[in-house]
Amino acid sequence: MNGPGTGDRGSSSDTVGGTARLMFYSLLAISLMALDYRGQYVERIRAVASHLVEPMFWAVDLPFSTAERIASSWRDRTETGNRISELELEVTRARARLGRLADLESENAQLRRLLETARRTDQQFIAAELASVDLDPFAHRILVRRGRGDGIRPGMPVIDSTGVLGQVDQVLFGMSQVILISDPDHALPVQVLPGGERTIAYGSGSLDRLRLTDLPMNAQVDPGDLVVTSGIGGRFPPGLPVARIGSIQRQPGQAFATALAAPLSAMDRNRFVLILKTAAPAAEDAPAPTEAETDPSSATDSPTTEDAAAPATQGDIESRTPDEDEES
Amino acid sequence: MNPVGTPIPLLTLVAAILLTVVPMPDALAAWRPHWVALVMIYWHLETGNLRSLGTAFAIGIVLDLTSGTLLGQHALGLVIINFLVGRFRNRLRFFPPWQQALAVGALLINERVVQLWIIGLLERGWPDWSWWLPPVTGLLLWPWLFLLLDALRSQRRFAR
Repeated sequence: MNGPGTGDRGSSSDTVGGTARLMFYSLLAISLMALDYRGQYVERIRAVASHLVEPMFWAVDLPFSTAERIASSWRDRTETGNRISELELEVTRARARLGRLADLESENAQLRRLLETARRTDQQFIAAELASVDLDPFAHRILVRRGRGDGIRPGMPVIDSTGVLGQVDQVLFGMSQVILISDPDHALPVQVLPGGERTIAYGSGSLDRLRLTDLPMNAQVDPGDLVVTSGIGGRFPPGLPVARIGSIQRQPGQAFATALAAPLSAMDRNRFVLILKTAAPAAEDAPAPTEAETDPSSATDSPTTEDAAAPATQGDIESRTPDEDEES
Repeated sequence: MNPVGTPIPLLTLVAAILLTVVPMPDALAAWRPHWVALVMIYWHLETGNLRSLGTAFAIGIVLDLTSGTLLGQHALGLVIINFLVGRFRNRLRFFPPWQQALAVGALLINERVVQLWIIGLLERGWPDWSWWLPPVTGLLLWPWLFLLLDALRSQRRFAR
């Protein structure tokens, strides 16, 4: 391909060779795309090769992050003061709400113990800032300024203040790529409330729509119903808000009904997102109580089993809360 | 005519890739031209650097990794562009600027058709009319980009 005079002289053998090379590289590109789309083999190559282009992300992001830092350090005193008092008010309101929630939580824990089901643990999360890098609008991916060094791992759920956003796809050294739930490749096990119907939410390729397929024809699903994660599959914890049902179609010839839902999260309009650290809390916690019951001596081995074996009193929960406050 | 191994084409390519992912206001984002294709066409036409299809493929893969598209998506577009430029190089080089700009616009529209085909196959949602804006921007920018890169190249030559 590097022969002298290629392309300069239009001899017939040259054009034949050129066409052959065009066919070769086109086929190579198409098969790469197919493999990448199926998510096989190429995944590894992509994960390694992405690290090579990470400096590009830094180069693009650095001026913006620096400008943000400078702007925030030069912000007006009164403006900062106003902002602080605003946030303090917000915190007070949130605390009041949390106080009520703590009460509910303890009640819930007691009920769960009565039902002998796994206890819900507090979610640990990492706050991440969106990087100032515009990826391809049809790729349904965003870049955040947290990477392997911050403890991010592929598959971690990503949420914002209103709902589920997606999950971590590629983890680089200081950044990671998040695949949005609107990507057609993305499938999310969900439950529709209040009916409790379980199904899968697929991305539709547009940011404002999800497709819920395989709903039974007589399913109790109405426009306006809330869609939350079901926790099946173990990657997403159950109960996270995802979307709201927009419309439902029950076509006579089909075996299943399909619904369209509008995602609650602000997809690509966020500045901060939360990356949930514990991927499968319910599945990990489930065996702990039974283990403690069968063998009491093992209860002293680790703090988690000890905690699980402790008597089910309200004092237990109350004594646990200050500990957590000290840790954080 | 051009010293072998000049890093200028490489540097301009890196700049083009950075320009591809740099954030832009929403109003302008749809107008973002295919920087990498424009720069690659320039070097191919004027110096014969980057003329091989393998190079175009490699550039495309880097662009795919950077912009988060499927591996091979941009590579396919750039390989086709480079093939067509190689075919018509002798004619394109001696076109007056406006005619050359039109030819480049045609190449970019062709690339856009290829991308549309891929996106259609993937069911990634159908793009609206703004899909066709980047080739227009590319066409309008071409003469200016041509002058800029020419200036860069001659400066380099005289500095030696």
